[in-house]
Amino acid sequence: MVHMSTNAKLGVGIGLRAPHVTEVLATRPAIGWLEVHAENYMGEGAPLAALERLRADYPLSLHGVGLSLGSAEALNDRHLSRLQRLIARLEPAFVSEHLSWSIAGGTYLNHLLPLPYTEETLEVVAQHVMHTQEVLQCRLLIENPSSYLRFVHSTIPEPEFLEELVRRTGCGLLCDVNNIYVSCGNLGGDPVAYLEALPAQAVGEIHLAGHAVNDTDGRAILIDDHGAPVSDAVWALYDHALARFGPVSTLIEWDTNIPELARLCAEAHTAERFWQRAEEAGYAGVA
Amino acid sequence: MPVLHELQAAFLQAMFGPDEPQLLEAIAGDGLLPAARLQIYRHHVLTSLTEVLQATFPVVCRLVDERFFRYAADAYIRQYPPKAPCLFEYGADFPAFLAAFPPCRHLAYLADVARLEWALNTALHAEVRAPLDPTELGGLAPHDMAQLTFQFDPSVTLLDSPWPIDQIWHVHQVDEEVYAPVDLSAGGVALEIRRWEDDVGFRRLDHSLYTFRTTLAAGHALATAAEAALAVSQEFDCVTALHELLTDSVISGFTL
Repeated sequence: MVHMSTNAKLGVGIGLRAPHVTEVLATRPAIGWLEVHAENYMGEGAPLAALERLRADYPLSLHGVGLSLGSAEALNDRHLSRLQRLIARLEPAFVSEHLSWSIAGGTYLNHLLPLPYTEETLEVVAQHVMHTQEVLQCRLLIENPSSYLRFVHSTIPEPEFLEELVRRTGCGLLCDVNNIYVSCGNLGGDPVAYLEALPAQAVGEIHLAGHAVNDTDGRAILIDDHGAPVSDAVWALYDHALARFGPVSTLIEWDTNIPELARLCAEAHTAERFWQRAEEAGYAGVA
Repeated sequence: MPVLHELQAAFLQAMFGPDEPQLLEAIAGDGLLPAARLQIYRHHVLTSLTEVLQATFPVVCRLVDERFFRYAADAYIRQYPPKAPCLFEYGADFPAFLAAFPPCRHLAYLADVARLEWALNTALHAEVRAPLDPTELGGLAPHDMAQLTFQFDPSVTLLDSPWPIDQIWHVHQVDEEVYAPVDLSAGGVALEIRRWEDDVGFRRLDHSLYTFRTTLAAGHALATAAEAALAVSQEFDCVTALHELLTDSVISGFTL
């Protein structure tokens, strides 16, 4: 395993999105690190050139959304080798992907789709994670998804599924605190109990974002649209996550209704106050 | 209990078509109809792909208005769903789809505007390659020069249209206050779309120069391209055209 240590403490960063690239290049705001969606930089043109310039000043993380680790079919080799080339070029601090699927029959559905948590799925995902780590020569961080449905034949609770995936593959976890809140809201479940069930030492990164509340047939459904400030309930859950995992590198994501860069950075600075308190308290994470 | 690949095949079908009964049986309601839960995913798949097309074809979207664009995009996505996860590469068939899409057949220029926007997108993401150093051709004999073929910079697209698509594009930029009406009878254009330094853009070429460059871009030798350009206009100046070709960073290599 080369390139990266998933225990790096980078403080609080922002998800870098296209509308902010020029301003970040020009003003270099005081933020801990940057994360981008790997798929947006697999071309060889201006977007990648801009990122290579930013890389000199900020630690960088590559967050994949297209590997489809939960697909029953084989991984897309071309996509994997493009990711491999991008990693070689940018030498990111973290490389992450999702516990989800998005490709069936070669069609890409552009969504992090839900998996049945069964022994069969565990086997499929573990094989794909191991293959990916072998090709990329790095440890992946796997993110818990936000969910709107569960399958009746799921037999393994999601945090246990992730724990077993860590055990089988040596991968780390990206704990998306907002996703926990959204999934528990939509499917039932206690977000704190979910956090408590995750293997703390495996968590190498935390995601925070806002969500929307939609009315669906008279029932409130939480939509993980990354389109609003982080909610108070998610801040409280983040505080809990820091107490349990220690001051893990944290990222603010904002993907729809994208605000001014200054507003996004303000959200990161709010997270930083939580993060610094955790660091000063000397939380090392619970073994 | 469906095995994983059957479940995913059914899910795929349901994203672009009606609910699959077997799939609904596999989904827990938890206080909602399983179909309502599935619909959340279907809605996101279709709207997010529509947004991808909207970002790549903003002028087309403004020309037809957003509601019609979403309708056309929905039909396109169902017929040509993406085959790979890099969505800046999604939409290559959209111009041809629009050309054949009956509800917008009255907008004859629409598909060509879409081609222009696709070419700009291609230029943005194309590999950055060092331009040819013209001194590399310094020692060649005239006969050898005539047989040269050239590799164009990967960002370059040459595009012609019977419509003034460059003007249509310009008046539909949101960040420029240009309200001049476009004279659709003004005639067609031949455009070169490519990267210039850090920017992508396009410019008009006159028809002989356009023929010269498209003939070269198709892999023909310099002599053939010059003949084709002269056939378009006797005033075509081959020496100037060659000089410009070799000095404006449009060529990345040559073969003798």
